[in-house]
Amino acid sequence: MNRFLLLLISIIIISSCELYEQDDYQEYYVVESYLIADSPLPNLLLSKTSPIEEKYSFKDAVVNEAEVEVRLLNADSTIAERYAYTQNGNGTYSPTAQAKVKPKRLYQLYISLSNGDSIEAKTFVPGNFEVLNKDQISKEYTYQSDQQVQLRTTPSDYITDRQTYYIFTINAVNPDSSKLTPFYRDLVIDQENSIENFTINSSGIINEKNYERNADDTITLDVPWLSIAFYDTNKIITNAIDDNMYDFVRTQDAQTGGTSLSPGEIQNIRYHVHGGIGIFGSMASDTLQVQILRPDQQ
Amino acid sequence: MKKFNLFFLLSLLLFPLVGTAQQQTASLNGYITDAETGETLISANVALKNSRQGTSTNTSGYFSLPNIEAGTYTVLVTYVGYQQITREITLAPGESRRLDIQLKPQGYQLEELVVQSESDQEEERAIGTAEIETEFIKEVPSVFQADVFRSLQLLPGIKSASDFSSGLYIRGGSPDQTLILLDRTTVYNPSHFFGFFSTFNPDAVKDIQLYKGGYPAKYGGRLGSVLSIFNKDGNRNEFEGSVTLGMLASRASVEGPFEKGSWMFAFRRSTLEPLLAVLQQSQDNIPESFYFWDLNGKINYDANENNKLSLAFYAGTDDLKFPFGDDANINLNYGNQTLSSTWTHIFSDNVFSNFTTTASRYFNFPSFNIASTPFERSNNIYDFSMQGDIEYFPNDNHDISTGFDLSLLTLKIKDRFDGDLNYNSRIHSQYGSFYIQDKWKISDQWTLTPGLRLNGFSEGSYLRWAPRLSAEYRPSDRIRLQGAYGRYHQFLTLFSNEAFTGFDAWFTTDEGVPPASGSQYILGLKTTPWPGYAFDVEGYYRTMENLFEPDPFLPDQAGVPYDETFRFGEGYATGVEFLFKRNIGRLTGFAGYTFGVTRRNFPGFNEPIQGGQARTYPPKYDRIHDIKVVLNYDLNSRWSASTVFNYATGQAYTKPLGQTAAFNFPTSSLDKQQLIVGKVNASRLPAYHRMDLSFSRDGTFFGLGEAQWQFQLVNVYSRRNIWFYNYDLDENPAERQAVKLLPILPTISYTLNF
Repeated sequence: MNRFLLLLISIIIISSCELYEQDDYQEYYVVESYLIADSPLPNLLLSKTSPIEEKYSFKDAVVNEAEVEVRLLNADSTIAERYAYTQNGNGTYSPTAQAKVKPKRLYQLYISLSNGDSIEAKTFVPGNFEVLNKDQISKEYTYQSDQQVQLRTTPSDYITDRQTYYIFTINAVNPDSSKLTPFYRDLVIDQENSIENFTINSSGIINEKNYERNADDTITLDVPWLSIAFYDTNKIITNAIDDNMYDFVRTQDAQTGGTSLSPGEIQNIRYHVHGGIGIFGSMASDTLQVQILRPDQQ
Repeated sequence: MKKFNLFFLLSLLLFPLVGTAQQQTASLNGYITDAETGETLISANVALKNSRQGTSTNTSGYFSLPNIEAGTYTVLVTYVGYQQITREITLAPGESRRLDIQLKPQGYQLEELVVQSESDQEEERAIGTAEIETEFIKEVPSVFQADVFRSLQLLPGIKSASDFSSGLYIRGGSPDQTLILLDRTTVYNPSHFFGFFSTFNPDAVKDIQLYKGGYPAKYGGRLGSVLSIFNKDGNRNEFEGSVTLGMLASRASVEGPFEKGSWMFAFRRSTLEPLLAVLQQSQDNIPESFYFWDLNGKINYDANENNKLSLAFYAGTDDLKFPFGDDANINLNYGNQTLSSTWTHIFSDNVFSNFTTTASRYFNFPSFNIASTPFERSNNIYDFSMQGDIEYFPNDNHDISTGFDLSLLTLKIKDRFDGDLNYNSRIHSQYGSFYIQDKWKISDQWTLTPGLRLNGFSEGSYLRWAPRLSAEYRPSDRIRLQGAYGRYHQFLTLFSNEAFTGFDAWFTTDEGVPPASGSQYILGLKTTPWPGYAFDVEGYYRTMENLFEPDPFLPDQAGVPYDETFRFGEGYATGVEFLFKRNIGRLTGFAGYTFGVTRRNFPGFNEPIQGGQARTYPPKYDRIHDIKVVLNYDLNSRWSASTVFNYATGQAYTKPLGQTAAFNFPTSSLDKQQLIVGKVNASRLPAYHRMDLSFSRDGTFFGLGEAQWQFQLVNVYSRRNIWFYNYDLDENPAERQAVKLLPILPTISYTLNF
């Protein structure tokens, strides 16, 4: 009996030793660039991560003197075109020549660093789409009236034939606190959130299947009043995002809570960058401008 | 190998029936009830003093002792908290004697040792099981009000997620791995106050049986454990009732007899309105209204000595209205309704049966309206079932049980956003199961219980065998060595959050979503070192395969194929539980220690940041060491005191290692802050410890009835245990903020029994 107890206690003591040790901090290269269909090739930011205990500043984390190239790939992954980038400020790289991002094409980012390290990422640019009813859309909408901003768009294609993932953004043209709608006024004035949080207001990811496809294969999208943070002039931007942005947004949202993960359980963001982290993403978008009137302005 | 196992089990089940012919023997059977109330007593012990024959009552309070040699015997009946009773009987050859026995409650006794038969506490100390009495629930200190689940959390092997959660985390399993039954009816969301309390009103509860693991073939559908709660039948002799006034909720119950039967009703409602009204005057963000209520009822009709009918129901709701800013509000209404009717029929002196029809509904209706943009969810589960359980006692060596369960399960979720239906899921499935089990007493030392369960689930067309086997060896009267193995399958999974259960939603298996499965291996040692004391050790190892959980990274389910809305993984749990218990004298109580480890692995989660294989990690509720001490001391005939102390390893959390940001994210005006983590949940919060105290004073209320004051102090030394760390990235460098659990909390309640 005593031997049994001794054995049991020994097993418990041995098992109690934590075999699942926390990792040490490791530094990663961070890339950031977003290709927008039919827009010029974007700039790229290159930096490094910083330990959590230290003050973070992009200026201190930049990586300079890298060789940056964005490549347009053929369907068989051979290189169709190369776009060289040059350093244009601390950690910022710009294309040396003007070129437009082609929709429904695969792009590759390739970075070589002076120490021999390299970073690589790919993105498939979603097919461009068009808001068809721009001419029919009223220029003025009364906030929270029955008539919401309703868009009719062509669909956006993607390499995997998946449904489109949309993010609506409402960019206030001349934001100031006197123009805040009631919900956001409460958040800014009473709950002391920064007004900057809402000058570009995002809907979060909305799947295409939330909406019916019309008989002519177009999609009708309603812009929810919740996304309007400011009265006056707003740009309504409909974005169809690629897989890299989809994974980035949804996993970054999960880091800030609100999922079924227990509080305190933090998962890494899903990056699609080899040799580093960050985002080399793409999207297609279309913009229209409307005037949002106060209810008493009608 | 599987075929061999199946053959082996069937042999074990069928072999015992050979040679069970009864010749010149007699039998004894009947119900054991409370003499004062007429309530049937579950797991009461019946023994023939001058033989080694004995048994215990089943969940209907019925016992059967077949195959007794004709002669004169002393029947000894015992039950914890009741005076033992002896009866002299003489059985003639071939006689079948019906002996219904009423036991009187012990009343107030000090220093008295209750003599117990050899088969005493037979069921209580079976492998993997635990039982608590309703008096225990009412006596131990508790936050604001007595609570069934929080009392269960004091037992070894059962852990809580936090002070705010009554969820049961049993032997490394999440709450959805425990089947919760109220009068044989599944309860899908057993919580009030968004998880703070359980739905079960202690005034209504008669018996609580918990199978922490290795549960028998009679039950199925969950990987881990079974909690079976039976409500009171109601007093069959006289009208009685009680009223309890508490700080958070008050409750009232009444019960009484009618011709050939009894009834019981218990009602509970929160009483927070005055507190909310005061807070609304001085604080922002206080709910406009919040309340919960529940109603339990049961009606019994004893048609004759071989037929009983009962109808039991439960209804409960939580309702919240919360304007949380200008032009923004949330409404939430959720709850459960259950209804069960049972026909208890005794076919013969050695064939006992229960046939039950049950209906269970879980609903939740959260709705938000923010800036005239409404979001509404309608979430309903309807579960209708027919169950039959038959027990056959061919001789005193065998207790054969068999039964079936046929269920219709409908899960409906509809989401509307901004007036449009954007998610509509309706799963309609049939569930069927059949089981057979034999408790085979091979000798005075050996008992073997083989069992087999067949489960079928129509959605996805899944059929699963679930063999079970437990064995017990008694080298002496004071030592029991036990072992068990079981295979378990789970066809449902729960979307929940430990911080808030008001949005709970269940999902089922389907094509591409196979049921989760797992095996359990348990070894136990149960000893009685001295009369009135018990020392138990139980070790377990559990596997969890094909775990399916709603993908926590999925932002929008619309248009996503059903099987892609889940993450699939596996896990295991292992541990050892020690329990030392004292049942006699002024000072009673127990001390428990649990060493436990539980792990999960989900591909795509907890992978190294640069890619690679998913690493196995502990869920947040993993606690390696857990010590609990519960003591009750009777100061005198009026005053008693009890205390609870809990010390546990800090829970797992993820410590961020680094940070970065995306500065030009096109859909955001702010930088997208990013935390860089290493292994998930590889760090530990500070150890958790807390002591609670309770004092009770018994008295009378102006001669109208017995009354009790209860004064409680939760977290006596106000240890601010930590729930989790929040990292504020608006600060630079990022600031770690500790979100703390309950401070010291005094509570008071008054109970009047009439």
